Amino acid sequence: MRAYINDIAYRAEQGESILSFCNRILGKKSIPTLCDAPNLEAFGSCRICSVDVALEKGAKTKTMASCHSMVTEGMYIYPNSTNIRRLRKNIIELVLTDHPLDCLTCEVNGNCELQDVAALTGVREVRYPQGAHHLDRPKDLSHPYMTSDLSKCINCYRCVRACDEVQGQFVLSMAGRGFDTRIIKGMDQSFMESDCVSCGACAQACPTSAISDVFESKAVRTDTKVRTVCTYCGVGCNLEVSKTEDQINSIRAPYDATVNEGHTCLKGRYAFKFYDHPERLRDPMIKKNGQLEKVSWEEAYDYISSKLLHYKEKFGADSIAGISSSRCTNEENYLMQKFIRAVVGTNNIDGCARVCHSPTALGMQRTFGTGAATNSIEDIQHTNCILVIGANPTAAHPVTGARIKQFFMKSDNVSIVIDPRKTELAKYANFHLALRPGTNVAVLNMMLYYIIKEGLVAEEFVRNRTEGYEDFKKNILEIDINEMERISGVDRDLVREAAIAYASAPNAMSFHGLGVTEHSQGTFTVMQIADLALITGNIGRKGVGVNPLRGQNNVQGSADMGVQPHQGAGYLDVTDPEVIKKYENFYGVSLPRAIGYKIPEMFDAALEGKLKAIWIIGEDVVQTDPNTQKVIKALQHTDLVIVQELFMTETAKYADVLLPGASFLEKSGTFTNGERRVQRVNKVLEPIGNSKADGQIIIDIMNRMGYEQADYTPEGMLQEISQIVPFFAGIRWENLGVNGLQWPVDTQGKDTQILHSDTFKRGKGKFEFHPFEESNEIKLHAKDYPYILTTNRDLEHYNCGAMTRRTGNVLINTQDALWIHPDDAAQHGIGQNDWVCLESERGKVDVRALITRDIQPGVLSTTFHFPEIMVNNITSDEACSEALCPEYKVVAVRIRKSKGKHLAKV
Amino acid sequence: MSKNLSELSLRQGIIDGLFERISRTAVETGRADPKLLQQLADDFLIGSASTYGAASFYDFMKAENQGKKAYVCNGSACLCAGTQKAVHKALSRHFDSTQIGHMTCLGRCHENAAFHIDGKNYSGSDLTDIEKIIGQSQKNRDSYSVKANVELLTQEIGDLKSFYEPLIRLIDSKNLDKALEDIKSSGLRGRGGAGFPIGLKLQICRDVAADLKFIICNADEGDPGAYSDRYLLEERSHAVLQGMMIAGILVGASWGILYIRAEYPESVDQVQKAIEELQNLDLLGADIRGSGINFGFKIIKAQGAYICGEETALINSIEGQRPEVRTRPPYPTVEGLFNKPTVVNNVETLASLHYILKNGGESYRSLGTEKSSGTKLISLDSFFNVPGIVEVEMGTPLRTVIDEMGGGFRTAVKAMQIGGPLGGIVPVDKIDELTVDFESFARNGFLLGHASIVCIPEGFEMIKYLEHLFDFAQYESCGKCFPCRLGTKRGQELLEGAIVRGQKIDKQLFVDLLDTLEQGSLCAHGGGIPLPVKNALRYFSKELEPYFIHN
Ligand SMILES: Cc1cc2nc3c(=O)[nH]c(=O)nc-3n(C[C@H](O)[C@H](O)[C@H](O)COP(=O)(O)O)c2cc1C
Ligand code: SF4
Ligand code: SF4
Ligand code: SF4
Ligand code: SF4
Ligand code: FES
Repeated sequence: MRAYINDIAYRAEQGESILSFCNRILGKKSIPTLCDAPNLEAFGSCRICSVDVALEKGAKTKTMASCHSMVTEGMYIYPNSTNIRRLRKNIIELVLTDHPLDCLTCEVNGNCELQDVAALTGVREVRYPQGAHHLDRPKDLSHPYMTSDLSKCINCYRCVRACDEVQGQFVLSMAGRGFDTRIIKGMDQSFMESDCVSCGACAQACPTSAISDVFESKAVRTDTKVRTVCTYCGVGCNLEVSKTEDQINSIRAPYDATVNEGHTCLKGRYAFKFYDHPERLRDPMIKKNGQLEKVSWEEAYDYISSKLLHYKEKFGADSIAGISSSRCTNEENYLMQKFIRAVVGTNNIDGCARVCHSPTALGMQRTFGTGAATNSIEDIQHTNCILVIGANPTAAHPVTGARIKQFFMKSDNVSIVIDPRKTELAKYANFHLALRPGTNVAVLNMMLYYIIKEGLVAEEFVRNRTEGYEDFKKNILEIDINEMERISGVDRDLVREAAIAYASAPNAMSFHGLGVTEHSQGTFTVMQIADLALITGNIGRKGVGVNPLRGQNNVQGSADMGVQPHQGAGYLDVTDPEVIKKYENFYGVSLPRAIGYKIPEMFDAALEGKLKAIWIIGEDVVQTDPNTQKVIKALQHTDLVIVQELFMTETAKYADVLLPGASFLEKSGTFTNGERRVQRVNKVLEPIGNSKADGQIIIDIMNRMGYEQADYTPEGMLQEISQIVPFFAGIRWENLGVNGLQWPVDTQGKDTQILHSDTFKRGKGKFEFHPFEESNEIKLHAKDYPYILTTNRDLEHYNCGAMTRRTGNVLINTQDALWIHPDDAAQHGIGQNDWVCLESERGKVDVRALITRDIQPGVLSTTFHFPEIMVNNITSDEACSEALCPEYKVVAVRIRKSKGKHLAKV
Repeated sequence: MSKNLSELSLRQGIIDGLFERISRTAVETGRADPKLLQQLADDFLIGSASTYGAASFYDFMKAENQGKKAYVCNGSACLCAGTQKAVHKALSRHFDSTQIGHMTCLGRCHENAAFHIDGKNYSGSDLTDIEKIIGQSQKNRDSYSVKANVELLTQEIGDLKSFYEPLIRLIDSKNLDKALEDIKSSGLRGRGGAGFPIGLKLQICRDVAADLKFIICNADEGDPGAYSDRYLLEERSHAVLQGMMIAGILVGASWGILYIRAEYPESVDQVQKAIEELQNLDLLGADIRGSGINFGFKIIKAQGAYICGEETALINSIEGQRPEVRTRPPYPTVEGLFNKPTVVNNVETLASLHYILKNGGESYRSLGTEKSSGTKLISLDSFFNVPGIVEVEMGTPLRTVIDEMGGGFRTAVKAMQIGGPLGGIVPVDKIDELTVDFESFARNGFLLGHASIVCIPEGFEMIKYLEHLFDFAQYESCGKCFPCRLGTKRGQELLEGAIVRGQKIDKQLFVDLLDTLEQGSLCAHGGGIPLPVKNALRYFSKELEPYFIHN
């Protein structure tokens, strides 16, 4: 198609707006706009983008808004005619009749779109006499992050649309009409009173300072900007950090980020002030006479290396263990496992994946051969059905959650949630299968049953690309539906309908979280989710697949780098002689032959006196691992506990040596997000105080202990990693670009969006049937402890909360709360916000009640972000039979109203 | 316009949809109850800002409406007739000033002195009987003259069964192509203002594949001075319903929605009655006459906002969103109500369809002019000796309408505003140059629009009329686009300053303002208001010049 700009012909695309056509040809911002934004739909309110258009050369022109008018064949466009320039100037003059003229003291002076456009139009005076205005609207400073000064509002609706189209929260709207139209939050409330989730999308979208944040993220300062990746969850949002010298000013989301497209949640955007919090650990410390005392790095290194060498010599290398951190970079995780294996000489290395997605890695490896997400976040745009199981992404993976929510709201899409709680997504879903916690396997077997019964099996796919189907089918058809319905508490017709909807969708994808894995049957559940994909042929193309929502920012990466006792860097089997040879050649030392301890086994070994030293990096096992008292005892039983941390966490309190690590803002490296995307983390600041990049600390000790390892640089480390991890073959620091690469990356540097397109890593996809089995926790304790407690996370806090509790987030979410159904609350005389004592076989804790119908009777749920509650005092030792992932999601408890005495001292 | 809100609203359907439920929150006190709005927001998962924001848009739900009991009509015709003061005075004897609000045009322009109490309209001599009126439960029907030079829309309905013959034939024969061909060849153009050919609209909507489609009858006749749609709704309801069903069947819509303005309570009753009659004929519901066709009607009573007559604002309103104008494309025919293909037509357009199906497209086309076929209803206000509704063949000289059918002016008139507040101001010396059709009006720099006539008497100052127009425009602006939200307000302020404080208006500024509105506005509300103003500046320059200065 051909169209003309200023009488010159250009090629235009079908369905392209005049605005994007002109911007494509004449360059970005060739046409000024005010209501348009990169991540929002065209809205047509400002009319600044108007252009003159004639249908043929020399014909009479008509003025049209270019943002929502489409280019048509043979159109003549005049983007900057005299008429248009006058129109824009006149519109701006009108805007200025209701806008304060105090640019010099305005927060966004120099970075204001209204200023820019006004300058461009050359408006020099406001000819209208003083009239009605909105200049006295009061500022809203109620919120720890969000601010508004609506006297600066130009009514462009960008904030309203961002809250709707991006976050899906509907906090903002307009009230009144005509000239009186004005932005409101909720029912004309303050940010703090409203349902705002502080994602900051509105502040970023606002072209003026009318909605902003306490960090003044749109202010122009003598700053530099560094692009990096969020340190919290596995979504892996890109962030643009602005700093002045050694101070971080604010964070914004780059629009060109594939992962988050200009969006973040409040953790990524606002929860960064932990980095220079007074409580940051700034010096190494050694416990002397029962007290941790500041020491020099030299002393700490000497102490650690001599101790470790001593234990190795005296008790053997297996008396030492390491827990690496999924919060650290790939390079650091690689170093830690290398240190433990090649320098210490044991496979006793594990990481937090143990307590979250170890069943995912294992289960998917068993079915597909690869333990990682099969598809990409972007595929949400290309699917017809999303099944969310055991996950609450709007809280735990907010940016992906927001995208899924957008998907759920559209009536043509199929949306299914399997979760005991009425999560935010469950409220929007077509099907909510509210099962009893611990019965995932029952419900998924029912789904598989109905898919077979209804003849919805993708026969050809099953024939060509899978094995074990006939046995599997036979077993599935034999399940007792009556029994499964009774056990799970989910109506069979609902399960049937959901199964049909999933199986009939042209493309269906699933997302799962810890509500799948943290169960005694966690690995089996993952395999069933994979079976659902296999049986319906939802594998190997866009918009389908099995997509674990990885918890920590780099939990994918830490596993990839070999942070598990049975597989080394690149998931190679550490007991395979071929592999051992390969690693030995590469590391230049001889390596241990036996599989090492998983985290729970480390604690058992400690209690048995077999473990002498443990080095824990960035992981608060005391607060976040189950059965707290046992963990504490285990640490007390270990001679040398080295904790490398940012803060004095609950675990750090038991350290003999405390090493101050660096936050993600203070070092470079890579993180791998939940869709296998390896992205560059770029250092913004030097490590604070005397702290050091974690990788450098490990390297220093390696060298002390006689292993030569060059100083920590991401370039150097990636060079090394790419030689040993097959799917990193083509990854180089220089080639990662701004949006990273999704592994596997071949030697040519080509990455992979979709796994298993033609074959599976293990050849064929494998069906494997497992019947439902009640957890021991229920079998043994349900009689005395009739309620089921399930733990979960909130949006505002991240796991143990060590970081988020040291930011403004703590003013928004101030405590762990116990979700309890009104009937249960009434039965125990529990009122809103009363203390409730939860008692399990292991102990007691007190939590404040939050009475809500979003939880079913008989089930309770709470978070574990605050150490004073210490919920893990009551969680059990039950774990996934295959992967040893703890069963956090099913705890048998009894409840009573209490006085709040069972609080941990912190 | 939010796609998400459309989708979430659709989830709970149209029968007791979000908008009606929002409307009910105001029944108690006249103001939408925040507690109930919160409840609705939770039920629909749309956030309280959405329900609160929507309610605050409408005259009859916003906070200022709390406690209002009686309303004075402040439409253009009542203004020019000078009846408002007396009405206000009479009402003040029974209500205190906080209980008296205003409504813009109750459609009683034929006798003016219009007011509204307790869901009922009154006008003319009713004023003398206020005591009797208060607490009365009967609806109050008015009467006015109806004349025609060709009887098409004004034809008696007669026996219902035979009146619905065209529809029944369509249902039984399923010869949809032929029916659509007839409508296209009739040349019928929309009567709501823009004059878009309905045949083309139906064709486009029919061509879009969708499982759910809608026909909307735009019965929000908001133009002060117009009451011809009210006439059709109340006196010829079945013509409207039949037209909707014909259009619905042609495009494959199963719902016909009538969006009727709150200021027409009697229309709601009459249409409801007609729907029940249609029900009794077994011409509604599922599988009509065993044809497999389903069709149902839904009346939605508006809540007081002129912009809801604009079709995309109307759609947002039905969805329970703020009735702000949407951008186009996509056009409603492709993505309309609840993001589904939707045909929106004016009452009068739809009421013409049965004639076309009965007599064929050519028969309709033979009436009127080349580009304006058929007949047109015209509303005459109380300045005529014979006020009321007239139906004329398109192309009829305006002089005939005024002198012969309307019986001439009762008192001296200097101009008429024809086609509503956005229609042109036609000085009386232009009457002989105009014929009643789209082209004649456009050619002469006016607008046929919906063809209501509001007379501006000799003694009425033009500057005041312009101020009234700008005041209406700013009060009714949806507020979405910059030029109209700000420009109509500033225009009103400039004129008020000139009238009240003697502040002269910078002529260049005023011209710039009109151009900005005309070229920059998103919809014809802001885009249309400059037309009458420019007419006035041209034809009444002498009278207006003293209020301006040239810098
Ligand atoms: C400000 C404004 C007010 C309008 N009011 C009405 C109205 O009251 N009734 C109506 O039928 N059309 C009204 N319209 C026109 C509608 O947008 C739309 O064009 C019409 O309903 C289409 O039907 P038609 O083609 O049968 O005329 C209005 C348009 C604007 C811009
Ligand atoms: S911060 Fe996010 S949730 Fe809050 S109002 Fe802005 S866009 Fe909406
Ligand atoms: S607050 Fe900002 S984004 Fe929202 S309407 Fe006002 S100027 Fe636009
Ligand atoms: S969604 Fe996850 S990665 Fe993105 S900003 Fe939030 S916590 Fe960070
Ligand atoms: S012209 Fe006026 S009524 Fe129309 S969209 Fe703009 S603000 Fe709304
Ligand atoms: S950018 Fe097109 S109207 Fe604002």
